[in-house]
Amino acid sequence: MMRVRKRFCGFGAAMVLICGAVGASAQEKPAQMNMADHRGALQGRVRNGAGAPVADTEVLAINAENGAEFRSTTDAQGAYSFGALPVGKYDVTLTSTAGLTTFRRRGVDVAMDGKVTLDITLDAASAAEAAEFERQQLLEKIATLEKRVGDLETTTVLSEPETRVRRVEVYVDPSGVEHEDPTPGAKKTVTYRRERTYRRQTISEKIDAAIEEAATHRVTVGVDAAMATQFATQTRGDIEPGNAAYALASADLFFTAGIAQNTLFFADIVGLSGAPPDSEIPTLTLINGYTARLVEQNSLNLREAWLRTEVWKNRLALTAGRLDLTNYFDANAFANDESTQFISDALVNNQMLGLAVNGVGVASEFDAKNGLKLKFGFQQSSPEPTSLGDSLFTLSEVGYTFTPFSLPEGTYRVWFRTDNSEPDVIRQGVGFSFDQKLSPAVGLFARYGQAETDLGHDRFYSLGVSFQHGFILNPEDTWGVGYANMDLKTGEREHLIEGYYNLLLTEKLRLSFHLTGVVDTPVGGSKFGYLFPGIRFQAAF
Amino acid sequence: MRNLIRRNIVAGFVAAATLATMAVGLEAQGVKIADPTSVVMIVNRDSNDIAFMDIKTHKIVGSVFLGNNVNPHMVMMSPDGRYVVTGGTRANKAYIIDTKTLQLVKTIPVDIAPEHLAFSPDSRWYYQGNPDGDSISVIDMQSLSKIKTIPGFVEPLNVTFLPDGSKAYVGNYGAHWVGVVDVRRHELIKKIQIAEVPGVAKLDPSKYLGEIHGINIAMPSPDGKYLYAADGTLGIVGVIDPREDAVIKHIRVGKDPWRIYMGHDGKYAITPNNGDNTISIIDLKTNSVAATLEAGPNMTGVNFAQGKAFVISSTSGFVYVYDMNSLKPAGRIKMGTNVQLETATTDTKEEKLYLAESTNHEVLIIDAKTNAVERVGHVGLYPWGTHIMDSKDNYCH
Repeated sequence: MMRVRKRFCGFGAAMVLICGAVGASAQEKPAQMNMADHRGALQGRVRNGAGAPVADTEVLAINAENGAEFRSTTDAQGAYSFGALPVGKYDVTLTSTAGLTTFRRRGVDVAMDGKVTLDITLDAASAAEAAEFERQQLLEKIATLEKRVGDLETTTVLSEPETRVRRVEVYVDPSGVEHEDPTPGAKKTVTYRRERTYRRQTISEKIDAAIEEAATHRVTVGVDAAMATQFATQTRGDIEPGNAAYALASADLFFTAGIAQNTLFFADIVGLSGAPPDSEIPTLTLINGYTARLVEQNSLNLREAWLRTEVWKNRLALTAGRLDLTNYFDANAFANDESTQFISDALVNNQMLGLAVNGVGVASEFDAKNGLKLKFGFQQSSPEPTSLGDSLFTLSEVGYTFTPFSLPEGTYRVWFRTDNSEPDVIRQGVGFSFDQKLSPAVGLFARYGQAETDLGHDRFYSLGVSFQHGFILNPEDTWGVGYANMDLKTGEREHLIEGYYNLLLTEKLRLSFHLTGVVDTPVGGSKFGYLFPGIRFQAAF
Repeated sequence: MRNLIRRNIVAGFVAAATLATMAVGLEAQGVKIADPTSVVMIVNRDSNDIAFMDIKTHKIVGSVFLGNNVNPHMVMMSPDGRYVVTGGTRANKAYIIDTKTLQLVKTIPVDIAPEHLAFSPDSRWYYQGNPDGDSISVIDMQSLSKIKTIPGFVEPLNVTFLPDGSKAYVGNYGAHWVGVVDVRRHELIKKIQIAEVPGVAKLDPSKYLGEIHGINIAMPSPDGKYLYAADGTLGIVGVIDPREDAVIKHIRVGKDPWRIYMGHDGKYAITPNNGDNTISIIDLKTNSVAATLEAGPNMTGVNFAQGKAFVISSTSGFVYVYDMNSLKPAGRIKMGTNVQLETATTDTKEEKLYLAESTNHEVLIIDAKTNAVERVGHVGLYPWGTHIMDSKDNYCH
């Protein structure tokens, strides 16, 4: 009795619990069904193209919604069966032993408590249908992939948003409030503001920008090194030496730094070593133009150190410091650089400019950018006097660039100079020069100058022709032939002729061949002449 | 007499009413730009949009946002005025905008880093250069779809079409040849070497094996008889005869010419030479350099108007001016301090230049006659270039 009662009690309790649970469930979830609990069946037969059953073949059913896979293997009669598949749509696939899909049917609908029959015939049509299905699926995958890559490209920022500071004009009213646009009572003011830009940059762009930025803050060092070897062969007269060989090595170190808006610092330190022909052969002008730099053998000298700034919309350039004033004047395009053009000083400088040493000075240049250039400068002409008033050298120049007579461009200039380095007298000199292209390949140049002396006027002229972009071995080569004549009131005279070929080996390396002939008439002496074949090796970087 | 007046008044009312109706009708259809020649297009790299400025009022009349981090590079209107297109360099996509409604109608994936582009003269084909993909994407403007990608280029920068549209020429900045494309088949059919690398090149590996500054563009002469292609590394302009697709002459110019720009009258062309800060003026009749004149650093473009050439010196803040009759410098225009000048277009009347200035996000309008400058600010972030339909100076960096 007790046991019966107990059993009843147990049954009753269970009923109460079930009823309670059902009741609670009904209250919490109103009539929701779990689809996985409802199943259906899929079955059928697999036959080959001849209608014979295909045994031991796996049939794969994949739920289209969640990708769940179900497998069944055909029996000897080719029959397969999925007894209880969750309700849904299925892709049914058969694959050959070689891995090729031989049959595929999409969207086979398995309904709740239903039984679907899918008989499969493995023939050429079913294989083609399967292949087409796979192709479509592959295309879908590619399209999805392309979209994903595209999305990645458009949404992924490869670098941090950049910030930069910008100079802006704003309008500030009397109460100190800043307005972007003109506002009555507000005053236009310049201020600086950081802004953010959203530009995707590649890593290489970032690195390039960083290097460029760093370059603007550092001192740039440049080197111009050259070695000129010249041989002297006496062609006239009997002075010593008869025949000799000379070599002079020179190295310039340049330092450049931007220190303010439109303002530059420059210094040039030079060192020379060796013996030029000019140390032994008493020609009127320097056979090796580098000799002018030679102050002391095997020691470094500060050649130039100056500041340059540009004002008036960058039209006026002012250079002040220790400088070589003649560098800024008579800048002939075809005959003004002993490192790449003629090596003889008579074909580098106008000998009547008359300044031999560098010193403290100022050079100003007004460039209207319409072809007209005006220049003026002064410099200490000698290191000996204690005041600038006793050693003042001034230079003025007017230059004009244009294209006359349908020729390419030419520059024509006139200069005037004064020098008070001699006691109680101001010596004057005047000259002109031009460089005129006759064609893109051929250029003509000439110089004339005269300078005042106690005896009258010394005179100098030079002329020549230069070739580039034509009649050359390599595209960047240049060559030229020039003649210079010096006629001094003391009776000294000089005729000089030089030809050179400058071979550009690399952007930084040049090799040039020179042949210079000179005939001099010294005061009270007999004429002498020399021939100077030479070679110059120059590196600039 | 009274009848005549009455008739005129009535006719006036009818005309006004018709115009008003048309305007209302256009507005109702969402028409924002009725005349495609009435606007200057501005490509804003960092705000990722194309802005449209009314050429008369200088007001921004519309703007089309392309998407975040698209960084559009060059903008161009189709010759028929129907579409405005641009390549989004960092999105690797081409964007097609309906000119009238300023709606972005299609975005088409192309190859890597699309920059410069060109239309065939009949507006049918839009060739988008992809410098980092070394390819040209061909977009059919009828179906607004990419029909082909032409491979085989080396950093293709600019495309130009012959006037008859039969061939296109592609400048390869990473090589020394110009690609010839058969436009019917959209195939690269020939590579024209502009010049031989000199024998001394092997002594200078840092120059020749470093970065190539090859050919930016093969630019047709105004009469269409020849194409001119400047090679930066070699410092040469090659003259191409399109009948033979062969170089018939080499013109040596200054160092590192950026590209060649054609004067409108067909007499001269100019190469800005960034290697020596000069310009070379080329006589197109003799195919020789008529003058080499001083210019500024980092030149990005040349525009022609009123018998002058305006050379943009990007980082100096100056536009250098040259008299194209006397071939002489004619001053320079200061555009600002610490500004970055980009590229400009010239209006069809050749009266004004529209120069993009990216530092202050403005377009600087230069009166070509007086050299006076008007500033239009707030055009978008980092304006990179401008474009006017039918302008003879539509170019990009």
